[in-house]
Amino acid sequence: MKVVATYNIKGGVGKTSAAVNLAALAAACGLRTLLWDLDPQGAASYLFRVRPKVRGGGRKLVRGRSDVAELLRGTDVEGLDLLPADFSYRHMDLVLDEAGKPTRRLGKVLAPLADHYDLAVLDCPPSISLVSESVFEAADALLVPLIPSILTLRTFEQLGEFVDAEVDRRPDIVAFFSMVDWRKRLHREVVQSLPDGRSDIARTSIPAATEVELMGVERSPVVVHAPRSRGARAYANLWAELRERLAL
Amino acid sequence: MPLDVPSHSLALPDGVDPQALVSFLGDRFDVVVEPVTSVSYTVVDTADRRLRGAGADLTVDGGRSGPTLVLREQVGAAPLSADAGRRKRWLIGDLPEGALRDRLAPIVEMRALLPLARVQADVQALSVRNRDAKTVVRLRLATHAALVTGADPVPLSPRLEVTGVLGYPKPLARLLGVLSTEVGLVDAPGSMADEAIAASGGDPEGIRTKVRVALRPDQRTDKAALAVLRDLAGMVEANLPGTLDDLDTEFLHDLRVAVRRSRSVLRELAGAFPPDELKVQRDALKWVQTATGPTRDLDVQLLDWDHLLAEVPAARHGALTPVRTLLDRHRAAALRALRRDLRSAAYRDAWRSYRGFLRGGLGPARDRPDAKRPIVEVAGRRVRKVYARMVDMGSAIDEASPAAALHDLRKRGKELRYLLELFGALWPSDVVKPMVRTLKGLQDVLGTHQDREVQADHLRALAGELAGQAGGPDALLALGVLVDQLDAEQRAARAGFAERFGAFAARDQRKLVTGTFRS
Repeated sequence: MKVVATYNIKGGVGKTSAAVNLAALAAACGLRTLLWDLDPQGAASYLFRVRPKVRGGGRKLVRGRSDVAELLRGTDVEGLDLLPADFSYRHMDLVLDEAGKPTRRLGKVLAPLADHYDLAVLDCPPSISLVSESVFEAADALLVPLIPSILTLRTFEQLGEFVDAEVDRRPDIVAFFSMVDWRKRLHREVVQSLPDGRSDIARTSIPAATEVELMGVERSPVVVHAPRSRGARAYANLWAELRERLAL
Repeated sequence: MPLDVPSHSLALPDGVDPQALVSFLGDRFDVVVEPVTSVSYTVVDTADRRLRGAGADLTVDGGRSGPTLVLREQVGAAPLSADAGRRKRWLIGDLPEGALRDRLAPIVEMRALLPLARVQADVQALSVRNRDAKTVVRLRLATHAALVTGADPVPLSPRLEVTGVLGYPKPLARLLGVLSTEVGLVDAPGSMADEAIAASGGDPEGIRTKVRVALRPDQRTDKAALAVLRDLAGMVEANLPGTLDDLDTEFLHDLRVAVRRSRSVLRELAGAFPPDELKVQRDALKWVQTATGPTRDLDVQLLDWDHLLAEVPAARHGALTPVRTLLDRHRAAALRALRRDLRSAAYRDAWRSYRGFLRGGLGPARDRPDAKRPIVEVAGRRVRKVYARMVDMGSAIDEASPAAALHDLRKRGKELRYLLELFGALWPSDVVKPMVRTLKGLQDVLGTHQDREVQADHLRALAGELAGQAGGPDALLALGVLVDQLDAEQRAARAGFAERFGAFAARDQRKLVTGTFRS
């Protein structure tokens, strides 16, 4: 099972949108796919109409006292299951801090599922904390959405430095531009200023598009309810890049 | 940790109108009903139904972009698909590279995927939703018909496939309860693929390699032997068309195994048959075996080709192309000869005569000393004797023994194995199974030893032909590497002989054989 996490220290940059759409595309390709909604806000769970509730809460789950299989929920996308969010995840940092080897804990939760899924997508909360460090340890790849600006590129580089310094098993780190508004000069300039062939930034950008925003209304990934839209096509291209990169 | 999603295939009883069922469900549940779509597809599997055995369904679906192979395995997972191309059969190498091919390869191995039935279906997808408008049960209502060439479509039983959604067991249980108690739906007796194959005149279980004859220990030996031989003759006939059409290598392999087993029965239970007639039939079967041998030998050579190539430095692979070309050419010639023989009037007459022999009428039992004896006694005596003979032969083999000594032992081993496979059910399985296991262990090394000898001899014999061809000198050098590899594998097999034979001929094993298979 390969593990991909959508991560950014900031919120509202398109992590959940990327997670749900890429997970749906993976399932449509025949990969047995799991999406873990780690964000206590539960946006991914909401989009899939799954109640953001985990029996026993985050504490039991992280401490290995829950049967994780019993917590999974099938989604409306065939082949895609969800480990839902729970509001108690807001205390996950504390729970991890109390546990031994805190940065290994999330990987341990996923371990019993490794034979059942080809891909796990982790939708992470916006922070840099023990939760994110544990995600970094568990992930084969970090997928980092960036809204085009000079500062976000700098933050992305800082993330790479942090992972290099702190994480034992370094995941592949790939950024992609998200919510790109081609009418804005700054967006255009930032995206176009990148040297060709930079391997840590995906070729595909996700546009700021109404149909992507409508996911909250439709309560389904854009690749499901508007598969021919600009946004859906962009996610399909991003998935193709990611799939090749991860040899999925 | 099970994550399987429960799935039920329910048959609609006579008189239940599919659309009335949809209305009924709509009244009782929050159901989203998709429009009916008409689809046609072809059920695809190997002749021996390997995919069925692995719990997988493979179809060729028509579509705008051309025929597509679709593999459905795990309930709840999206199917895998790949371009099918326009073919009458698919070997693994014919499939496009990708997930579907990777998944099928270990199941299908060298067998061809064949179209087994054509189906037309009207399918309607439905989903039951909960209060959050989330799908909690998936349904698929379908009416099918098997499309049979030159005949009207054969209607198949309408079905409702009900699939749960992980984490939502209660809505599924409630729906199934309603369907069972209020509509009278019951589990469908078999899969739709099985039903379609049967309606098309095929056997849903596919071509068998195991004999399925219920024997009684006290059954007359001649009757028991004839029952087994008739079953084996059916296997020869079932594999003949695929052999002649050269669909895959296993039709010929299975045909030859059935013939060899038949010869073995005639030899080991010879006392149950009239000697003159027996000789005629044994000669006829031997002729079939001889006529099919060269093609099979080349099949073994070619099936092992990739394995052999892996041991040769990659830089030399190109040099071996003329060798491969020559082998392919020899195989094509051998197949032509095989076809000529098995399509000949002589074969047809011989087979008709053999079938007549199997119908009985073997003459007075006084000329056949074992005819009336219980099969458990006669077959048991043969197991004991063949085993004892093998122990003697194997014990005499040492490092100086010629390869022929191992080959002779292997031939005896086949006799014993067939006796145990065909008549083993007459004795306790806790004796027969371990015996077959140690015998198989021994036969594996003897088989490798013999196969490598034949393959190496065959390759050496190509040298003359290769020398005069373009690229011949390079090919000869590379051929030497291949032959060395085969020789090394033969030596390794021989080195493993003592241990395997030791297990087979162990004192405990000998005692068990003497005690179990006594007259």
